[in-house]
Amino acid sequence: MLVRGCAGGELRHSLSEKTKALAAKCHALRSPAREQRGTERRRTRQRKSQTRWYVKQPTWRLWGEERVDGAIYTVYLKKVRYHRPTRCASSESDDEISHLEWETVRVRFVKAGTVDRLVEALATDDGELESTYVNVFLATYRSFAECSKVLDLLLGRYETLAADDVLSTGTENSQQHRKTLVACLHVWLDTYPEDFRQPPHHPALQQLLTFTQIHLPGSELHSKVLQKLAIFSAERNGSVGGSGVSLAPGMRLPAHHTISYRLPHVPHRHFAEQLTRMDMELFKKLVPHQCLGAIWSRRDKDRSHDAATVLATVNQFNAVSFRVISTVLVEPILKPLERADILAAWLDIARELRVLKNFSSLKAIISGLQSNPVYRLRKTWALLNKEKAELFEELARIFSEDNNRWAQRELLMREGTAKFADTVGENDRQLQKLLHERGSPGVSHGTIPYLGTFLTDLTMIDTAIPDTVADGLINFDKRRKEFEVLAQIKLLQGAANAYHLPTDPMFDRWFDSVIILDDREAYQLSCQIEPQTNAPKERRPKKNENNNGHRKNDSIASTSSSNSSQFYCETDGVGTWKRDSLERRSSPTRLSHGSSSSSIPSLDVSLSSANSGPKQLNGKVANSPAHPTRNGPDFYIIRVTYESDCVETEGVVLYKSIMLSNNERTPQVIRNSMLKLNLDGDPDGYTLAQVLPEREMVLPANANVYYAVNTAYNLNFILRPRRPETDVVVNGKTKNKRA
Amino acid sequence: MREYKIVVLGSGGVGKSALTVQFVQGIFVEKYDPTIEDSYRKQVEVDGQQCMLEILDTAGTEQFTAMRDLYMKNGQGFVLVYSITAQSTFNDLQDLREQILRVKDTNDVPMVLVGNKCDLDAERVVGKQQGANLANHFNCVFMETSAKAKISVNEVFYDLVRQINKKSPKEVNKPRSRKHICRLL
Ligand SMILES: Nc1nc2c(ncn2[C@@H]2O[C@H](COP(=O)(O)OP(=O)(O)OP(=O)(O)O)[C@@H](O)[C@H]2O)c(=O)[nH]1
Ligand SMILES: [Mg+2]
Repeated sequence: MLVRGCAGGELRHSLSEKTKALAAKCHALRSPAREQRGTERRRTRQRKSQTRWYVKQPTWRLWGEERVDGAIYTVYLKKVRYHRPTRCASSESDDEISHLEWETVRVRFVKAGTVDRLVEALATDDGELESTYVNVFLATYRSFAECSKVLDLLLGRYETLAADDVLSTGTENSQQHRKTLVACLHVWLDTYPEDFRQPPHHPALQQLLTFTQIHLPGSELHSKVLQKLAIFSAERNGSVGGSGVSLAPGMRLPAHHTISYRLPHVPHRHFAEQLTRMDMELFKKLVPHQCLGAIWSRRDKDRSHDAATVLATVNQFNAVSFRVISTVLVEPILKPLERADILAAWLDIARELRVLKNFSSLKAIISGLQSNPVYRLRKTWALLNKEKAELFEELARIFSEDNNRWAQRELLMREGTAKFADTVGENDRQLQKLLHERGSPGVSHGTIPYLGTFLTDLTMIDTAIPDTVADGLINFDKRRKEFEVLAQIKLLQGAANAYHLPTDPMFDRWFDSVIILDDREAYQLSCQIEPQTNAPKERRPKKNENNNGHRKNDSIASTSSSNSSQFYCETDGVGTWKRDSLERRSSPTRLSHGSSSSSIPSLDVSLSSANSGPKQLNGKVANSPAHPTRNGPDFYIIRVTYESDCVETEGVVLYKSIMLSNNERTPQVIRNSMLKLNLDGDPDGYTLAQVLPEREMVLPANANVYYAVNTAYNLNFILRPRRPETDVVVNGKTKNKRA
Repeated sequence: MREYKIVVLGSGGVGKSALTVQFVQGIFVEKYDPTIEDSYRKQVEVDGQQCMLEILDTAGTEQFTAMRDLYMKNGQGFVLVYSITAQSTFNDLQDLREQILRVKDTNDVPMVLVGNKCDLDAERVVGKQQGANLANHFNCVFMETSAKAKISVNEVFYDLVRQINKKSPKEVNKPRSRKHICRLL
């Protein structure tokens, strides 16, 4: 899945193209080389003729790798073709004879390098600004270097170039190069001012000030630095809160006064708007790079402020979920119908959130409704009218874990930055009706994504791709992948500006007044409302307990735990005895489902393999051509080999196959493997790793395995006893198990 | 050492896994855990020659039968298993055999017909003669076995090895090159 980006020129190319497109949308770089980049030799010529010629889809070919001291580059050959937009008058015929049809240029991308080399690469060989690279670098450098280190290197490089110029050994390039470095500093200051805050003395900014005083007095950069300094010290004197993150509203002091809103009789639209207002404030403050796996998921307590804006969003999400649970359960004496009305009210609010494209609170409400204490109230749910029940299903479907949360991603991509919410599934009757009723809304608004999806992606990238490659060079390709996700977030942040929602203090008071139940209290209340029955809690059919027999049992079907009756399994690569020959699809066919979708890399990859690899069984045709990606596999079949130190004298088990359905996490998959392989003991005593061509990927302790597996390769796994003395080591870093 | 690729086929619950595990590991599996696809390896001596058997235990369950074509392509010898206690499992074999011949595109495929669970004679519904007749019709060897009572289990696999040897005697110990595999297919 995610790691696959390292291979395959085709993919690599399109990824970088995407990165570029995103970068262009996210930052308007005030730079001399705004869109044309690369190392084209004949740039000047090209420029001159740009008015008349346009460049048509360059074709890229992976040429190979290039190693220099301290860096590895991926080199592409790009064939650029020039076309005339129209046939020109014959007077220009001389041009027609001599014009350049196409040329091949070499383009290098830094794949890995030392910090020094990575800083050098901010400018191309020609000294031009590499805008994509600059954006990726600035968005992700914190995971491999300190701000001060990068600044030192950057300024040092400038000074070296300047010294060369004084000795007139400098070239034309070196002047361009210096300009580029200054442009980088501008971008850095504008885009990540927080990096320079460093209270109380702002050392980096001071260093920059000294630098500009010497080298660039009176320049734009100089005044920008002065201005930033003034702002920071004013803030300090005005004692405005440090990082500017307010506590999640749930943590504010509860109000004791009269409460004016009371579910279920509340204005739904208004509630949705107010929730959106709260989410929007937090989302706009979100610092995207705090979402990086290295920062967010490895946060330890004393570093939690590094992810403060992420935590604030997460807290708000939980706060909304808690309110749903609490309002449904907190009054045990309500009549069932009254309680059903509260469920209905939340569904109505959720529906409005869908229209507002606030996927964060929408998901929070759905999660609250799906939490066991609420969800188990069968009698209450049964009182909802059919429309409401349908609405619940339709809304829940948006976030279904199926197929790597395809539905939600698709929605985000289609509507993320579009003005209106107009994407509903053809089976979503309630939502269709809703959009029909509303017509085209008069106001446009933004989008608030459910951040969890991005956090998962980033955590997976972080887990699956090593930080360093050979010789300890920083793996910059990993940073490019991360940037693609960060760029998505930034894009949506921009869209969030389109919301214009007034603050209602009465709503805030209501929000703060809701009593929060802990899990145990909620469950107890729930049981008080509807006592436990002996019926199994599990709603989904479990594996049949077939003891013997010739019955063609359907137990395998029932374990797939999905309402869909289509079955898939990975047949590509079942050529069992070809295992050792490592014959593999070099790259699964990409599915194109609209160009807009190409911006989420991990989705693309996993979708494509899901559809090109596994074949469905039973001859059912699952994918109608119109919806090539709608039905992913319900499960994969993976092969598990058990590896232990004991030497078998008898015959051996090469592997056993088990099913992996779509929300199984590592411990469950290990348990299933153990069962199949007849192993006893504690699943925690084992590790599971996917065998990839060059290495193994050990699954994190609680990963969603269905999502974590690399479906670009055969699904072969190794189960081994965990060595007692060693911890789980991923990416060379010791990881604590996350619950 | 020569390798033999053997595929065990038959309806669900007839005892394919039990037979295979009995042969490979010498134990009887009482529990019924429907197979998806398991693979085993065992070294044996047949007629004074060391052989490496790779045995693919397949799914009898309908849902997974689409993978059969692939098994069949790669297999050199086949064990067709039914249970003497269930008529339907016996009837299912006709189709299976046809599928093998179709995929292999030949009439001469090393194969053993196996009536398993012969320890359950009291529950027998498929007569021994019925099995022998079918084998005759298939033009292959027939055995009744019991994975539980260890009756004729090894013989099934040994016989298959001999059949494969007879069919292609010289195919010994070739490197696993891509070409080699292509030829096999
Ligand atoms: N009495 C008796 N029981 C057997 C024998 N062989 C298998 N069984 C039992 O029959 C049941 C099914 O056996 P399996 O080997 O799992 O069947 P299978 O053919 O592999 O079934 P699938 O994997 O679903 O295709 C198990 O409970 C076994 O213990 C046998 O020779 N005698
Ligand atoms: Mg079996």
